[in-house]
Amino acid sequence: MPPVMPKQKAAPLNGAGLDRRAALKLLASGMAMSLASCGKPPEEIVPYVDQPERLVPGIPLKFATALDMAGYGRGVIVTSVEGRPIKVEGNPRHPASLGATDVFAEASVLSLYDPDRSKAPRGPKGIASWDAFGDALRTQMEKETKRQGAGLRLVSGRLTSPTLLRQIDELLKAFPLARWYRYEPVPDDNERDGTVRAFGRPLTPLPRIDGAGVVVSLDHDFLGAGPQQIANGRAFISARNANAGADKFLRLYVAEPVMSLTGANADHWLAIRPELVRNLAIAVAASLRGEQQQGLLPPGAERFAALAAADLKSKTGKAIVMAGRTQPAEVHALCHVINDILHAPVDYIEPVDPAGGHSEALKAFADDLSGNRIETLLVLNANPAYDAPRDLGFKGDFPKLPFSAHFGLYENETAEICHWHLPLSHPLESWSDLRAFDGTASIVQPLIRPLYDTRTTHQVIALLSGALSPSSYDLVRETWQTHGGDDFDSWWRQVLHDGVVADTRHAAVSSKPKTTDVKPTSVPTDAVLTLAPDPSIWDGHQANNAWLQECPKPLSKETWGNTLSISSHDAQQLHCEAGDVVMLKYKEASVEAIVRVNANQADGVYATTLGYGRRRAGAIGNGIGFDVYPLRTIGDSFLLSGATIAKAGRTRDIPTTQGQFRLEGETAQFLPRISLASLAGGLKGPPFEKEPKPTLYPVTQNDDPYAWAMVIDTAACIGCNACLIACQAENNVPVVGPDQILRSRVMHWLRVDTYSDANGGIQGFQPVPCMHCEHAPCEPVCPVAASVHDREGLNVQVYNRCIGTRFCQSNCPYKVRRFNWFGYADDEEYANLGEPPIEAQHNPDVTVRARGVMEKCTYCVQRISRARREAEKEDRTIKEGEVVTACQAACPTRAINFGNLKDAGAQVNTLRKEMRHYELLGHLGTRPRTTYLARLTNPNPDFGEPKS
Amino acid sequence: MPQIFRPSADSVARILLVSIVVGPFVAIGIGYAVTQSPYITGQNVTMKQPVPFSHAHHAGDLAIDCRYCHAGVEKSAFAGMPPTTTCMTCHSQLYTNAPMLAPVRLSLAERKPIHWQRVHRLPDYVYFDHSIHIAKGIGCTTCHGPVQTMPLMRQHESLTMGWCLSCHRDPTLYLRPENQVFNSDWKPPADQRERGKELLAHYLIDTKHLTDCSTCHR
Repeated sequence: MPPVMPKQKAAPLNGAGLDRRAALKLLASGMAMSLASCGKPPEEIVPYVDQPERLVPGIPLKFATALDMAGYGRGVIVTSVEGRPIKVEGNPRHPASLGATDVFAEASVLSLYDPDRSKAPRGPKGIASWDAFGDALRTQMEKETKRQGAGLRLVSGRLTSPTLLRQIDELLKAFPLARWYRYEPVPDDNERDGTVRAFGRPLTPLPRIDGAGVVVSLDHDFLGAGPQQIANGRAFISARNANAGADKFLRLYVAEPVMSLTGANADHWLAIRPELVRNLAIAVAASLRGEQQQGLLPPGAERFAALAAADLKSKTGKAIVMAGRTQPAEVHALCHVINDILHAPVDYIEPVDPAGGHSEALKAFADDLSGNRIETLLVLNANPAYDAPRDLGFKGDFPKLPFSAHFGLYENETAEICHWHLPLSHPLESWSDLRAFDGTASIVQPLIRPLYDTRTTHQVIALLSGALSPSSYDLVRETWQTHGGDDFDSWWRQVLHDGVVADTRHAAVSSKPKTTDVKPTSVPTDAVLTLAPDPSIWDGHQANNAWLQECPKPLSKETWGNTLSISSHDAQQLHCEAGDVVMLKYKEASVEAIVRVNANQADGVYATTLGYGRRRAGAIGNGIGFDVYPLRTIGDSFLLSGATIAKAGRTRDIPTTQGQFRLEGETAQFLPRISLASLAGGLKGPPFEKEPKPTLYPVTQNDDPYAWAMVIDTAACIGCNACLIACQAENNVPVVGPDQILRSRVMHWLRVDTYSDANGGIQGFQPVPCMHCEHAPCEPVCPVAASVHDREGLNVQVYNRCIGTRFCQSNCPYKVRRFNWFGYADDEEYANLGEPPIEAQHNPDVTVRARGVMEKCTYCVQRISRARREAEKEDRTIKEGEVVTACQAACPTRAINFGNLKDAGAQVNTLRKEMRHYELLGHLGTRPRTTYLARLTNPNPDFGEPKS
Repeated sequence: MPQIFRPSADSVARILLVSIVVGPFVAIGIGYAVTQSPYITGQNVTMKQPVPFSHAHHAGDLAIDCRYCHAGVEKSAFAGMPPTTTCMTCHSQLYTNAPMLAPVRLSLAERKPIHWQRVHRLPDYVYFDHSIHIAKGIGCTTCHGPVQTMPLMRQHESLTMGWCLSCHRDPTLYLRPENQVFNSDWKPPADQRERGKELLAHYLIDTKHLTDCSTCHR
């Protein structure tokens, strides 16, 4: 095709065309222009035409709403400055948040401003309008009305919104022959079928972990990413309180094929093939009944089962056994039986997600597709072209349908093969409602008017029913009208304020499980591939979120992609090393994967995570990692037995942050692990010295009312990374991208170090922000005094002074300083080349650092400053709890404590007097203000040697 | 052998020698003077505004309180600019047809905000808070100058870091009693030094923290 505009010939500037006079003219004008450009560009103040009530420019407002995770709601409180939501924090009133957040909630605010979000409807012939879609839809729906919706099919993920369920219910009543397929890429079919098997009807078990003494997890990652992570994490740690007494301290046994976050926090961990977990459950059940069953398990596992069972029995009434989502329904049913024997503290509630099996829905969908029974296909915020099993054959079939439309935030893989793509509003732009995992309902309220020409799911469904300009606000209010009572408006205001609808938690139902007969399996010989949702990007729908992509995975510390992990033994057998590219094959399908060698993995097990290898995620997420969804066919679970790998003869670098900030010394000094039993005898010797080291430096003594300090309880840290993303969101920490990560240039102010012993066994997690040393090694080496102390003990970095010598970075023994090698925040590839919407996320109270500047954790000095100004306006000092750092607010287990050492009643002072208190690298005499409490384990003494 | 240099070369050499020593000081001096000059600081520069709003008329002649328009000044970091509706509280009744006010009427009619040129500008890495200064007895005119005499707004002070620090190091010369903060005609009394010390204690101002970098930069 010829170019639209013919190329114009450039006027010759050099040679004959340019005389001396012209050259001087150009020179002079060039100089004049460069001088003129030195001036500051003019700045405008744009006030409101009509200022909204309660809004004072400069004062942030906070609103309660809810965000969904795999369909379930988590209550959040979102901070909005001048109408821009910039930070998500937890809602203490909400059972799935408890005031804390997880990585997904924190990162959702970046997705709102993602420049790759779809901005306008796209029709079969290119960019279209909602009106055009409305016309097309009306014609199509008229046809459907005639045949009672026989060709109408709706596809969605898990939906818990009462309003949406009501709307779809009404729609299906109007079109009785229409079908609605609900499937979640990460299904919970096995859990559900397990309860059907045990109780005769679907129920959702809600273990009360905080009241438990012993928990045995059979391949169940309840502390890992998921809709219940925050609640489970809080419950788990509150049951592990060192000061409550040894008999009240929960002991956790985990048996699983690949170490998960739960496994990393276990007191006893067993690597076991996933198929054999069934035998382990049978052995535990038999042991509890006093029977003997031998030969089901390898000797190590047999001992594990026997000791775990004995421990469970000794804590009857306070012992729980749980099975994970990849385990078959029989194992789940057996766990319910075991819990019944143990009188376990488990509530059963009616399922919050009323839909039946997710894989059955997919099967029905595939049948309808192949049977040509679909005329009108509407895909509601789902992406089957990417995440459904491969034999659904979407690629060929969708375009052949008479009418297909995809509604979503992104023009993704499914949108590509649909006739229409219609942009949906982000949850922070919509009115809606959501239920949490326990049924508690929340109203979702918008923080901002839709940025683009988008609609909510409620409006879309109403459109199908023939409404012309539906308002989701009215639709949501209509749903709750009966609930609100006579004074609906005050009820509504209260509910919006609280962020939860009171008394909507599903009541526990009493149920007795039937005994089930589960046959043990023989020891399998084939290798098995286990697929799990990714700890950073879950099922992949948030793949375009740069914060999540760059969030180091809790155990492997990989960023920007997934890997295929294999055990060290298998690696030797297959002659594979970390970074080798292999062909991963299952039946006819194959995918290229990168190998990671994992010491904490059962032999004969390959493991990888979902959510990567997106083709149409957006500029950030396209082509990152490899996609394992197509390995599955309908009916396959997430355990693929018989998978093989073959070396491709190439290697690829894995962008990981592991080892980027290695401290000099021994693990036992950095992250001491002490058993509960030895705690009673007292702790002596390094690093637990109580007296500070002698020093020649002047000791800072001042009469200021504040001395800020942080104490991090590593025993409470479950390694979830919420603090890391919270810090990134609060402090405008830029993303650098995989190439820069490979050069060790990650910018996270707060990192979570994962320690392992000589055999690779995970020792624990340690969040490392700046230590704010009283004798800070970074300060004397700065030639321009950009790194200085303030009177309250903060080691501050003055960006406008910094000239980028990086001396401070090399002199920091904790390696917490980060250098802007490029303009990461402004115009680099992974900052979306500085597209304007991204800027709107920035916290206006924190400088966006420029190229060539050093930066690091500030203890959220902007929050301290705000609290100080508020206190000083009232002529008082800052009270305990008034300054909450971003990481502290995010922590689900309250491992991070921040406060004022000069305040005798401050929590940090109490914690600093604890026996487990120690300083990281304290022997250097840096006198860090950030200090730690040692990690605690509660091993079963009957095991003999401690867990390695 | 003929002389290479003429007698005047002596003078040239002397001047050169002197300027090698003096030159750098002069250069630094000129450089410093430029950074302090209105060209850089914007001091006393009047800008073209969409509406030639006169503080001399509103704050001076009519003696309207500063907070009537700058409503956020006691609560927020940002003093606040009046929304169009604030202008229209009076101008829906007064000067309703004045051509000068056409942009205000247009703004209300079209619901489009007025774009004012910012006069007082601090660099992005400075986090200034109006409310705390007001609460601790710093009057509006201390920094903004005699606005009640300015027909068009201009920046009265240099707003350089040195200027900020001159007060942060020793605020006693500028502190006012609570009831004088919004008084544009306030003049420091003869014994301001003593009164300032009393006020410093009264407002519980901790001057030691005032010069920490983290007070204004984050």
